[in-house]
Amino acid sequence: MTHSQSVSPVVDVLDFVTKQLPFSELPPACAHFYVNHAKVVYITSLNQSELLVPTDRYLYLIRSGVFDLVNTAGEVVTRLGEGDYFGYPSLLTGEEIKNHLEVQTSGLVFLLPQQDFDFLRREYLKFEQHFVRAHKKRLLSSHYQERGRAWPEHKISALMGKSAVTIEPSARIVDAAKLMQNAGVSSVIVTEKGELSGIITDRDLRNRVLAAELAPSASVAQIMTPNPKFIFENNRAFSALHLMLKHNIHHLPVLNEERVPLGMVTSTDLLRQQKHDPVQLIGQIYKAHSHQEVIRLAMEIPALLRGFSNTVEDISFIGTLLSGLTDALTSRLTELFIQQAGEPPCSFCWICFGSQAREEQTLHSDQDNGLVFSNAILDHQRDYFARLGAYVSGHLISCGIKACPGGIMASNAQCRGTVDEWLLRYEQWVHTPTPQAMLNSKIFFDRRFIYGDQALYQSLNAGLSTLRQQELFFAAMATDISTNSVPIGLFMQFKLERDKHKHRYLDLKIRGVAIVNDLVRLYALKCGINKANTQMRLAALKECGVLSKEDIYNLQDCWRFLTQLRFKVQIEAPELPPNCINPELLSSLERHQLKEAFHLIKQAQQACVFKFARGSL
Amino acid sequence: MKWRLPRFFQRTESALWLNSELLVVDLELTGLDPNSHEIVSIAWVLIKNGRIELEQAQHKLNCDVKQLAQSPVYHGIGEHQLVQSGEHLERIIKSFGEELASKSLVCHNASLDWGFLQKYMNKFGVAVTPAHIIDTLKIEKNKLLRSQTYLAQDQLTLAACRSRYGLPTYQNHNALSDALATAELLLAHVSHLDRQESIKLRNLVY
Repeated sequence: MTHSQSVSPVVDVLDFVTKQLPFSELPPACAHFYVNHAKVVYITSLNQSELLVPTDRYLYLIRSGVFDLVNTAGEVVTRLGEGDYFGYPSLLTGEEIKNHLEVQTSGLVFLLPQQDFDFLRREYLKFEQHFVRAHKKRLLSSHYQERGRAWPEHKISALMGKSAVTIEPSARIVDAAKLMQNAGVSSVIVTEKGELSGIITDRDLRNRVLAAELAPSASVAQIMTPNPKFIFENNRAFSALHLMLKHNIHHLPVLNEERVPLGMVTSTDLLRQQKHDPVQLIGQIYKAHSHQEVIRLAMEIPALLRGFSNTVEDISFIGTLLSGLTDALTSRLTELFIQQAGEPPCSFCWICFGSQAREEQTLHSDQDNGLVFSNAILDHQRDYFARLGAYVSGHLISCGIKACPGGIMASNAQCRGTVDEWLLRYEQWVHTPTPQAMLNSKIFFDRRFIYGDQALYQSLNAGLSTLRQQELFFAAMATDISTNSVPIGLFMQFKLERDKHKHRYLDLKIRGVAIVNDLVRLYALKCGINKANTQMRLAALKECGVLSKEDIYNLQDCWRFLTQLRFKVQIEAPELPPNCINPELLSSLERHQLKEAFHLIKQAQQACVFKFARGSL
Repeated sequence: MKWRLPRFFQRTESALWLNSELLVVDLELTGLDPNSHEIVSIAWVLIKNGRIELEQAQHKLNCDVKQLAQSPVYHGIGEHQLVQSGEHLERIIKSFGEELASKSLVCHNASLDWGFLQKYMNKFGVAVTPAHIIDTLKIEKNKLLRSQTYLAQDQLTLAACRSRYGLPTYQNHNALSDALATAELLLAHVSHLDRQESIKLRNLVY
């Protein structure tokens, strides 16, 4: 022992602190600073309310004892023991501490005051990163909000410049023109009793007034485009562009959740945002004149995506983009088929399943699609859809979207059918939960409308909502989910797999993302949520109360973290099997987070089994 | 059964644990007799409002030690180290006296440490008396005697007391570690007594 300075930190405390993340990764001076500025308390159930005052902000580090962190709803968020931190969310956000502690075993806790925590944050980037990322165990989410997103991810509300310029349908055309002149806009929203009823654009004034020799004193209602397409303020720019390109329109009224018009977003607004990116490709696909042209455009997708993956902060957004591209290809190929083969004999729609429906497609994903047609179809008319299915699936393969090994494609008769036939298939899986039925459920219950008659899709959804009461089915699903375990052992060690080249790896998709998807699907089905995207399902589940907000946040972050890691390694370590990583190549922080993510998934699995499969296990 | 004194007697002794400042002290010695042995090092840790303030921790080595004898076996401090980073005992005792003013003193086995401290405080003319002298060994002894009649010799060592409260084992044995260890033990004692706001320092003195 040396005592070269008069104030030497207590060696035992220093030893302990130096072993903890993030200090283990930082210069010794950081741990020295910590020890010389910390306070020590001994917390018991008797004194905790006196020692842990919510308005006092400290970073707490547990030295001994066991404590449960309990949220305002009285649910245990996590159990804390030696080496665990708490209190950092309020240090980072400045908000009051919301969770409180329940003492399981009394023990010592180190307290670092706010100003000293802030000092370490300023001095050591890694220190800052550790706590920002660990914030509320939300892994990466707070980190996300700090960075600007790529423009297709921006909310519409951020792009919309001026507030809504509106006019009554009974007003004169000349008044509308004057209004547009004064406001300096190229379009105006027509509202009736505050609700959107139509729009008028510069082009309408030319084509429907001047060219048609209509009197300027005629009513606005005569020239407006009634029931126009619109978009909500919370949608993403990408969705707006997709809508415009799909319908060849240049103006979209923006509404809030109460459907009150807020303003207008124009194609120029969006084009101003974009430079070179795959979104333009979607527009070109919708305008392609032949299937050869469609295929040629599809060939550009991989190269464009590679350039894109460096610019989009949230790499998982690529999944959304690829699904959007596949939707566009499917839609355009269908239109081209109709041009050749004539109008369809009855109403129909395209639906997609699996990863395309969840919008987490990768370049390796294969086709999962199907056709739904009206119950009124006659037997001889079915041939039309068989040809449509074969045409589109065949050309999608040429576009680089592989055939589904399980035959889940509209070219297969099993994936075509009337609404009633589809309902019957779903019913069979739900009523006889065999392993094969479970497998089918996982794919087919993730479904999304792509193209055609939306009313058909709605009636399919309406029919499926009656399946919600099947307890046995949910129990079987929960049991099925629990058979797939996360790859961590009893002592939070990774359980690695080996391939034939002796690479040691973890499968992030099967043993991580897929479990989250399965869990979320089960809860979404239980609550009758007709969405396929895992993040959207989780967002919708917040209203349902089957899962606590904390659980939902955790699942959201786990999913995002794993997806992000998965895409990252797909680019960086191509020698491993797809979706796999070698945890030894991760940074200590990433390993820490990965373990945390797996741990949370495991807890969610257990909770799910408990909820749905009680008694059957 | 404690006798309650009339209220007017209590006034001077009513310092609340949560409002007071306590100096937890540990000494490394060359032996157990204040008259023939010397202080090798002094360390102290401050408890303020029920919290240990590590920022205020001090560890002083005495460079005036004449006869280390066999004591390095216990404290591990060699002569070379004392000369290199030590201070004169007079300075140490005076700064200790300044620290102690208007605070209470806490030791594990206070009769020994306080005996040494008193001797040198007298010698250097430091006239400070702590508001209370609290002995974690006595607190623990009293507690144990309430549940058992016989006490083994080694039941009252600092390490043995700490293990009863689930406090971590400290590998390093020096005055500073022991001062912190004693401070933590006192927090544990207090925490198991009652609600903190109702505890008075008087309750801790036996």
